[in-house]
Amino acid sequence: MYLTVRDATKTYGSFTALDRVSIGIDQGEFVCLLGPSGCGKTTLLRLIAGLSDLDGGQILLEGAALSDLPARKRGFGIVFQSYSLFPNMTVAENIGYGLKIRGTHRSEVARRVSELLELVKLPQLADNFPGQLSGGQQQRIALARAIAVDPRVLLLDEPLSALDAKVRSELRDEIRHVQRSLGIPTLMVTHDQEEALALADKIICMNHGVVVQAGTPEHLYHRPRTRFVAEFMGISNLLTADAVRRAFPDLPARQPGGTEGNHVACIRPEQIGVTPAPDGNATVRNISFLGNLRRLEVDSAGGPLVVETHGSDACREGDRVMLRLAPDACTWVADDLARDPAEVRA
Amino acid sequence: MSFAKTAVTAARRRPDADRLLTWLCVGLPLLGLVLFFLYPMVIVFLRSLTVEDGYGLANYSQVLASAGFWRATWHSLLMGGTTTALSVFLGFIIAHGLHRCAFPGKWLVRGVIVLPLLAPSLVQALGLIFLLGRNGVVSRALGIEIEIYGFWGLLIANTLYALPQAVMIIGAALVLLDARTYEAAEVMGASPSRQFRDLTLPAARFGILNAAFVCFTITITDFGNAAVIGGDYSVLATEIYSQVVGQRNFNMGAVVGIMLLLPTVVSYAIERQAMKRQQTGQATGQVRYRPSFAPLRDTVMAALALLICAGIVAVIGIVVYASFVTLWPYNMALSPKHYDITLAGGYSSLWMTIVISVMAATGGTLAVFLLGLGLRRLPRRAAQPIQVLAAMPAAVPGMVLGLAYILTFNSTATPLYLLYGTAALIAIINFYHYHTQGFLTLMTGFRQLPPALEEAAGSLGAGLGRTAVDIVAPFIAPMLVSVFFFLFMRSMVTLSAVVFLTTPDLSVAAVTIMRLDDAGLTSQAAAFSTCVMAVVCLALLSMKATLALMSRRKRSKDTA
Repeated sequence: MYLTVRDATKTYGSFTALDRVSIGIDQGEFVCLLGPSGCGKTTLLRLIAGLSDLDGGQILLEGAALSDLPARKRGFGIVFQSYSLFPNMTVAENIGYGLKIRGTHRSEVARRVSELLELVKLPQLADNFPGQLSGGQQQRIALARAIAVDPRVLLLDEPLSALDAKVRSELRDEIRHVQRSLGIPTLMVTHDQEEALALADKIICMNHGVVVQAGTPEHLYHRPRTRFVAEFMGISNLLTADAVRRAFPDLPARQPGGTEGNHVACIRPEQIGVTPAPDGNATVRNISFLGNLRRLEVDSAGGPLVVETHGSDACREGDRVMLRLAPDACTWVADDLARDPAEVRA
Repeated sequence: MSFAKTAVTAARRRPDADRLLTWLCVGLPLLGLVLFFLYPMVIVFLRSLTVEDGYGLANYSQVLASAGFWRATWHSLLMGGTTTALSVFLGFIIAHGLHRCAFPGKWLVRGVIVLPLLAPSLVQALGLIFLLGRNGVVSRALGIEIEIYGFWGLLIANTLYALPQAVMIIGAALVLLDARTYEAAEVMGASPSRQFRDLTLPAARFGILNAAFVCFTITITDFGNAAVIGGDYSVLATEIYSQVVGQRNFNMGAVVGIMLLLPTVVSYAIERQAMKRQQTGQATGQVRYRPSFAPLRDTVMAALALLICAGIVAVIGIVVYASFVTLWPYNMALSPKHYDITLAGGYSSLWMTIVISVMAATGGTLAVFLLGLGLRRLPRRAAQPIQVLAAMPAAVPGMVLGLAYILTFNSTATPLYLLYGTAALIAIINFYHYHTQGFLTLMTGFRQLPPALEEAAGSLGAGLGRTAVDIVAPFIAPMLVSVFFFLFMRSMVTLSAVVFLTTPDLSVAAVTIMRLDDAGLTSQAAAFSTCVMAVVCLALLSMKATLALMSRRKRSKDTA
């Protein structure tokens, strides 16, 4: 691992913001810390940046401990949600600030600044002040400022959250492009699962100050380990073993180790097939047209289910339908939300 | 357990240059606060307990047994109460007129209302004497004799002096009211008088309360007006002066000082609470109220506001006018001869005051800047008590602080004695006298600075010094300018804190004015006052110009 966090712990009074969290980032990897607000993801990012101090554990960069280094000596780049450009400096001065501090020659700074402005596609704004820029432009400049000093790690703290939907998706692609082309190991904090799925090589899903599950986006989406991850990563149908048997009688309901009470089945809406059939085992209750797909709410023998279909299936509300499900499309997840999260951890 | 071990090693960080710098930033101003505020206050308290054979309450029982003390206390409280009621009432009229009514010429009202702040407090008293005194313009024109020395004269002078504060504080509360609230009330059918009773008054409640306590404190701690126009009407501030300067009885002066401290501390504590309550009521993203013209209301309010302003202009203006009159009231021809001041060291004290004010303003602004900068980086539990200490000097009357200084620095017990009789010490007392206002102004600036800016600079490699110069200082520059000029202007006109610290060789402007007036050279006192007002006006205009320039530059940076 290039950057390793080992057993990081942070408490605020009696509140444990992080409880022995361990994560790693590989060379050139894009890692997303995903979780609801208050789960500790921003706390972890700030610890890595050196903006607050660890109460326990270690942070290692290429095997060397970082705990003693203040933020300004870590050589990391950071982009905040709130743009945080220096309002008294021009765009060019903002981008060149880190290089200026490092005593880089003025002509070299100018060369690098124009190179970065090209990279974020805003070369015409060099002499403007941050107040004259739109939110999306400011965030691009903040990105350029962070990567100007060739950071050893790039840290992004919800960089897209303050932006409009359209600007957000543009900048999302841009961040991915820049990160790929420069190969900077990057850690991004977000609460938006779509953003994490689109950007990350690896997602670390957090809740209540602990890592719940880490893995590739595909892995977390299709093979969540707990109910929390399943619900956080998009829409899912969560059914008890009994309900699965009733809704899909053909399916050999396999489940781990017979611990039926602690597990539920997670079935993604797009994995359920629907065909109109007068003798079907379910009824369509409601249909939402979402453009590229249709979302059906159906009443099955196992309870209500959400199903998503592409194409123009001629189902109407009130129709009887037949539901189908491939045997391996059903994932058994630990039902961590039904109980105290501390117990699940143990 | 290995985990417990790593926890310990991780928590302990090597000392780093920035941490040292942070402690230096906090430490130096804190040392100043301890040496030049806390320590003298402890000394004055100890001296109030000092009797011939050690410590005891004998001084207190002696003071409490004297009729003179109780008379002065009663006078102070009565004067404080009456002045407060009057200035809050008049202040509300003007503030309401400025913020809730529509009439032309508001800039004039705004300009006139700050005039009393630009002069030493005794200028109001001087003006009243020229207007209503035995040889005053009004008295002679009407051919009546008015006894202006005493309660009524002092009441008017104090009211004029407290009025600007009342207008500013109540105005600040009225500005916070959201226009949409009034639109909602209008749509629901509330009449203007109902809106006033149900919306304006309750919302301004804390502003009014706050203004009342500020006016009360200003009045009972003021010395200049009481010294010039109080006559036989003794108040606590003049009582301290006569104990110390008249009878050289420092311990008794200390006792009276402690007694004067009690009401001001209580008043200040309540005022701070009121201010907190008011701030929490503030909504974000509010729409400003824009009054539309209502003939009856606005004509009446404009007339009242202009009338009050006319009073202020008359009192201040007559001082300027009288300074040019050859021989008041017998030869009203104009001449500059009173500006040829030879007594009391001539103009040397004016130049000295300017030097002292620049020192106080420069050193003071730097000190509160460092303190604010350092406090941001301290953990909350360390920063909180320091903030409380930094906000404390406002509760101490100038007379008491001055007395504390003379007791502390005119004693050879410590090397601090070296400061006694120097201009530096006067600059220092002026700064600590107004420390709270300067500190709080700058803290509002610091609160607007997003922490992410400093963090971004930090992760780009900037240390505390660089961040302070490149990021923080430019951001709060307008506040720094305000604090600088505030300290300068206050230092130019303050009397109560410095009256004990001046020596025959080293005097300041306000003390010179008092001495000239004492010597019967009222016209020369007026001339000297006019010079001081000119300097302060110039300072105020420079401040306005600097701030306007800054905001224009900022605007040009914020618009494409």
